[in-house]
Amino acid sequence: MKRMGKAWLAAIIVCLTIVAAACSQDEETATGEKDDKVTLTIGSWRTEDTEGYKKVIEAFEKKNPEINVEFKPSKNTEYNTILNTALKSGEGPDIIHLRPYAPGIALADGGYLEPLDGVGGLDTFTDEALSASKGSDGKQYGVPINMSTTQVFYNKKIFKELKLEEPKTWDEFIEVNEKLKDGGYVPLALGTKEGWLLSLAHGIFGPAVYGGEDFVAKIQKGEKNFTSKEFVQSIKAMDDLKEYFPENYEGVGMEDMRTMFFTEKAAMFPLGSWEIEVVRGMNPDLDFGYFPMPQQNGGEPAVTAWVDGSYAVNANSKHKEEAKKFVEFMTTEEFGELFTNEFKMISAIPGITSEDELVNSLGKAITESSTPYMMVIHFAEGNPTTKATFETELQGMYLGDQSPEEVAKKVQESAKSWYKPFQ
Amino acid sequence: MEDSSPANSRPSHLWAIHRLSPFGGTDIQFFDWEGIKQGAFIGLGNYRDLFTLEPFRGMFWNAFGHNILYFVIQMIVQNGIAFMLALILYQKIRGMEFFKIAYFLPRLLSVIVVGFLWKLILNPNYGALNILLGKFGLESLQKAWLGDPDTALIAIILVNCWFGIGFAVLIFLAGLQAIPHELIEAARLDGARGLTLIRKIMLPLMVPSLMIMTVLTFIQSFEAFELVYAMQGSQGEPYRSTDTLAVYFYRLAFGGGSGDSTAVGLGSALAVVLFIFIASITAVLLKLINKKQIDL
Repeated sequence: MKRMGKAWLAAIIVCLTIVAAACSQDEETATGEKDDKVTLTIGSWRTEDTEGYKKVIEAFEKKNPEINVEFKPSKNTEYNTILNTALKSGEGPDIIHLRPYAPGIALADGGYLEPLDGVGGLDTFTDEALSASKGSDGKQYGVPINMSTTQVFYNKKIFKELKLEEPKTWDEFIEVNEKLKDGGYVPLALGTKEGWLLSLAHGIFGPAVYGGEDFVAKIQKGEKNFTSKEFVQSIKAMDDLKEYFPENYEGVGMEDMRTMFFTEKAAMFPLGSWEIEVVRGMNPDLDFGYFPMPQQNGGEPAVTAWVDGSYAVNANSKHKEEAKKFVEFMTTEEFGELFTNEFKMISAIPGITSEDELVNSLGKAITESSTPYMMVIHFAEGNPTTKATFETELQGMYLGDQSPEEVAKKVQESAKSWYKPFQ
Repeated sequence: MEDSSPANSRPSHLWAIHRLSPFGGTDIQFFDWEGIKQGAFIGLGNYRDLFTLEPFRGMFWNAFGHNILYFVIQMIVQNGIAFMLALILYQKIRGMEFFKIAYFLPRLLSVIVVGFLWKLILNPNYGALNILLGKFGLESLQKAWLGDPDTALIAIILVNCWFGIGFAVLIFLAGLQAIPHELIEAARLDGARGLTLIRKIMLPLMVPSLMIMTVLTFIQSFEAFELVYAMQGSQGEPYRSTDTLAVYFYRLAFGGGSGDSTAVGLGSALAVVLFIFIASITAVLLKLINKKQIDL
């Protein structure tokens, strides 16, 4: 028996050695073969886009046969950690998918990114889109990739059944909610278990109350702040909407919300443009559309928009020139069309149309009537960020631990600790 | 028995050191950090901020309280039930081997799987628990277990107890089986029965395994992270009611959700505080074990 045991051990060790040897051999031949070719890696948080990027990369490699590109995404919630750790030790992917606004700009200001001087095609973008990855030194560090919007999606079948119209005013919106509730549906698929959904929902409903862009401009000048009447009102409006949330909403998270919507238990789903493809994947027969949020003060109904990501070049990359070629490719119409059709997302390149009607119509809404997602664009700084503070406090409000005034006060305190116009 | 417990105690020492020492050895803690950019040397400034500056101070004590609750509930529920189960198994009941394995089974699952599983069971609208309550006509008890700040943390701790009970049973059972049989026989002959037998003979002779379990539970409660993260994410949701020191550390050092800001310096300061705290309390507990042993 004892001898048997030793034989097994020996066999296992041999196996392990062979596997290890095979692995190392693999790497050798891999790098050996591609000596004449440059290999670029792309880091991203969009694991779900791996298939789509294969096509994008194929199109690029056709034009640049001497460059080999690999898309290496990591999990959304771990991406920042992985990327930051790699960058700190002077490594990381050659091409970096950059979070929009403050977190991305922090990488640029930390000296981890290569300024995109001399990259063509940057002038096709609007200033707003470019601002998502402009360093504090005024240089451009990223190529904006996609725009995201948040708005209310609605189930067309349920609306038809109850003879409801897309609301044009805030009062009509409340009326629609009431009728849906009487009709036995969950009016708004929104839960308060996950904080980020609350600042996102406020991004949709808030501007309708505080008056969109005008108010944001005043905040930027320091004329208004978060304790101003308009902002407190917007939080109160959010609080009032809880009447139309699903049962046990304090325990309802993202997955539950989506499930309610695609199983047609809930009629309205206030969320972002990136959900279109997910919802379609879950229930391809679901007939749904969106409406821009009607404003309380009678202004144009608007969708909430911002840049959701940019691509940048790692300052420590060994192949900066090649990497710049790739991000330059990302400014072309060819890329824009590929991107929007593959990913069902709105390209940041103006004028690109998609095969998807819903995506197209949202893309158009951005240029026609949109309002900025203030928390993401201007308040994703501080520690914890003002946005995160807002999320936590809103959660407290829905649990009955905070009043709208207190929420506003806490948010103001957080912003005041770093936001220049408030100091 | 005398040489069994020092051997047992060594892993817990090493465990604590292994878990946290990487942060003790570096100088990150003494610098100011702006995002991932290293700023000026600020000495003990990070420690000062951690304990005096809001919201850091509030979050620290909030999380610290949760860790203590974690420890207390685990000691009472997990170790209490485990001790009773070990006593039952010790009677050499039929199917003892089967039960030993059955209790230990949850431990074989990954914590992430356990968290996911219980998240489904505790889901407010289609989770098994609420449906079961409904079937028994107890609708009034149905609630959003993980969404209500009053129940969320307790729910997580109880799941942790369910997960850890098998290990505690094994330790206690080993402790019971190590008691010389003649001693128990002798006590029986002298008329000791039931509780008296447990209190006067078994418990004193099981002190090493009880203490080891206390030390391990203490370390585990103050490091509680995986299950909380798997079930509630890194924000201690809802409304910071499930925040623990390790989750708070993660949020500070690595940032919470997508695109959240980080405070590496504060994070490492917290890790060092946590390390010193766990190490010193563990040292005291281990000293106690050794003392008790001489008494034997």
